[in-house]
Amino acid sequence: MRKNVSVGKILDTTITYLILLAVAFVFFFPCLWLILASFSKSGSIYSFDGFFPSQYSTASFVKLFTDTAMYNYPKWFMNTLLIAAGSCALGTFLTILTAYTMSRFNFRMRKPMMKTTMVLGMFPSFMGMTVVYLLMTQFGLINHLGGLILIYASGAPMGYLTQKGFFDTIPRSIDEAAKIDGATNFQIFTRINLPLSKPIIVYTALTSFTWPWSDFILPKLLLKEKNLYTVAVGLMSLDETEFARFAAGSVFIAVPIVILYFCLVKNMVNGIAEGAVKG
Amino acid sequence: MKKKSIALGMAVCLCVGIFTGCGKDGEGAQTVQSEQGGQNGQDSRETEQPSVVNTVFNGELERDVTIQVLENDTAVSKGYFAELIEAFNEKYAEYGIKAVDANMDQYLDLANDGPYGYGPDVLYQANDIIMQYAEGKHIYPLPVEKMECFAQVPETAWAAYRIDLEGTVYTCGVPVNVQAPMLYYRKDLLPEDWETAWDENGNKIPDMAENWNAMYAWSVRRHGENSSQYGYMKSLFDVYFSSGFLFTYGGYIFGNNNTEPADIGFSAGEAEKGAWVLSQLASTMNEECIDDSITTNAYSKLADGTYFATITTPDMYSTFLEEMILVYEEEGLSKDEARAKAEENLVMTTLPALPESGDLTEEGASFVDTKSMGGVNGYAISAYTKHPNACLAFVEFATSYDMMVRRSELLGIAPARNDAADTAGGTSQLLYNNLEAGNIVLMPSIKEVSQIWTPGETFFIDLAKDAFRPEGEKKYTDLDAMKKGLEGVDQQIYDAIFTLK
Repeated sequence: MRKNVSVGKILDTTITYLILLAVAFVFFFPCLWLILASFSKSGSIYSFDGFFPSQYSTASFVKLFTDTAMYNYPKWFMNTLLIAAGSCALGTFLTILTAYTMSRFNFRMRKPMMKTTMVLGMFPSFMGMTVVYLLMTQFGLINHLGGLILIYASGAPMGYLTQKGFFDTIPRSIDEAAKIDGATNFQIFTRINLPLSKPIIVYTALTSFTWPWSDFILPKLLLKEKNLYTVAVGLMSLDETEFARFAAGSVFIAVPIVILYFCLVKNMVNGIAEGAVKG
Repeated sequence: MKKKSIALGMAVCLCVGIFTGCGKDGEGAQTVQSEQGGQNGQDSRETEQPSVVNTVFNGELERDVTIQVLENDTAVSKGYFAELIEAFNEKYAEYGIKAVDANMDQYLDLANDGPYGYGPDVLYQANDIIMQYAEGKHIYPLPVEKMECFAQVPETAWAAYRIDLEGTVYTCGVPVNVQAPMLYYRKDLLPEDWETAWDENGNKIPDMAENWNAMYAWSVRRHGENSSQYGYMKSLFDVYFSSGFLFTYGGYIFGNNNTEPADIGFSAGEAEKGAWVLSQLASTMNEECIDDSITTNAYSKLADGTYFATITTPDMYSTFLEEMILVYEEEGLSKDEARAKAEENLVMTTLPALPESGDLTEEGASFVDTKSMGGVNGYAISAYTKHPNACLAFVEFATSYDMMVRRSELLGIAPARNDAADTAGGTSQLLYNNLEAGNIVLMPSIKEVSQIWTPGETFFIDLAKDAFRPEGEKKYTDLDAMKKGLEGVDQQIYDAIFTLK
């Protein structure tokens, strides 16, 4: 039987899709332009035929990884990876612990601590840069990748509210049942709540990874040696005639994060679906 | 009780805050302050350095030390720096002194990083940057009279590194090379009949490279014949390159040899004629001359033949050359053939002469040498170094005749040493001569220079825009209007320097 579709419904769907396409174009077009520019054969933005390059080649990417005398992109890439991975692991661990504690335990300063962290979280992170710089000089952590990991990871629990919200949705009755069966708090956390929290752990890990991956201010402040640069700082230090290298570097830096996203997004969706059924 | 506790806590915090300011000053600050040993002002080259300089640089080389040297990117990328430190390390191996690449951004922040021990020991920078550090007491004054290069470097270059602190004159850097705008043009884009029609004095040098009137005429003709091609092209908003046109007709930055910030002279003399020259040149360009588009695209546009000529600093020669080689390779030439052809066709020379009248269309004009803003890059020693004598040995070595000649060969720069400039010949010698003749106005070495850029840029942008405004809306229609515009620039700079002082 043929379903009756009203004109209004068709019009509504068409307009919605047109708007979505327009918005997608606005966001996608700069990325497309940068990707095409990174494959430009001439390597110069001024030799483009109109808006796009006239000839294409992979020379810029080859140069990016082989011509490392002045601009050591592979080294910058590995530094960024190390910082992001370290911050991701430590930051996720600390954030989940903080969120779980705030969600599951009642203690004397819980409410004031929650309020304080919420207010502190409203201040922009760069506000404390001068203090961070002075502290890092005193600890001898300037020009140390570990210093950056420490700062990113220690700052991560400030944004624990999302994770706490997730833990709040897991019924406490499960904890109580486990307690009756003789489980300790640690066992309840590791055996019951953590497996149920896969989506939020994945989400936390992703955000903990992407922030240091793309940050510029902190690495610029704390890393003085060129060999310790992250990709963001390194790309900013390129000479004005190095546009092709800049474009290729900007495109390549997106690759790991895209791979990571596609690997983890499945867990996020599965976890959320799983939670929904159980809930 | 609770209130008392809070009050007590606040009082403690206040005391801590107050006593925070009672700590020791940084090492660098202490060093320079202690150097003001009551010596009288010394302007002459023959006078002795303050005794305290001799105390720091006592000639006793520190042994088994590593010094960090910050060079500029070009020196690193062209391999000169590697040669330099290798030669130095070999010579000083017996003392255990080793120079290494500081591995930092060439635009460092010594004022913030130095006190914490993260700056280089020796740095290579432009004179205005070094002297800003000198004013902040972040670098050591040097015993330059004792250095081998002293007699070979012209007084003008040394003057760029002198500072008068409380009546004592210190020299805080050692000049290495002279930077000033050079004309780049394509020999193969000259008109076919240039030897008969564009070489009035028959000296085998095209008139376009000798005077701005011919350059203007050729620019008008080239653009007229093909609207996508241009003659001379340059971003006019750039104060560094445009202000030289004003200086040629009597303008200056600061009075008393660029040391008196209250006397600002962009409008002095007949500087408005220089502004007129710029507005005439703008009329042969496109609207990209208003911002920095031409500065960034000149390398590829000169290479592909869109532009005939431009001006920039001599250290960019290799960048122009590489771009031209790429174009020739795309046309099917081998790497060697492309390089040979590019070297044949790309010409770098000193700036053409300007007409005395400022009129680029005047026939039979008499010409004057074009002045330009320039700088002297050099070495300085950080006041935070623990090995000043080893650093001085490095600077001495790096400014020796052999190293300066080698630097000039590899980087194409103009040495500040007379003997090295003689050996280098060509444009290096021309630049050196221009410096000695006073045609290169060195960037002031006082901190107030930071206030000249924005007002200057605003005026030059407006002047360049004028060429593209409809006839009735033009702002600078005659010399008087240009004079008033420049006087406005002087006033804005003055206000920027003194309003909040």
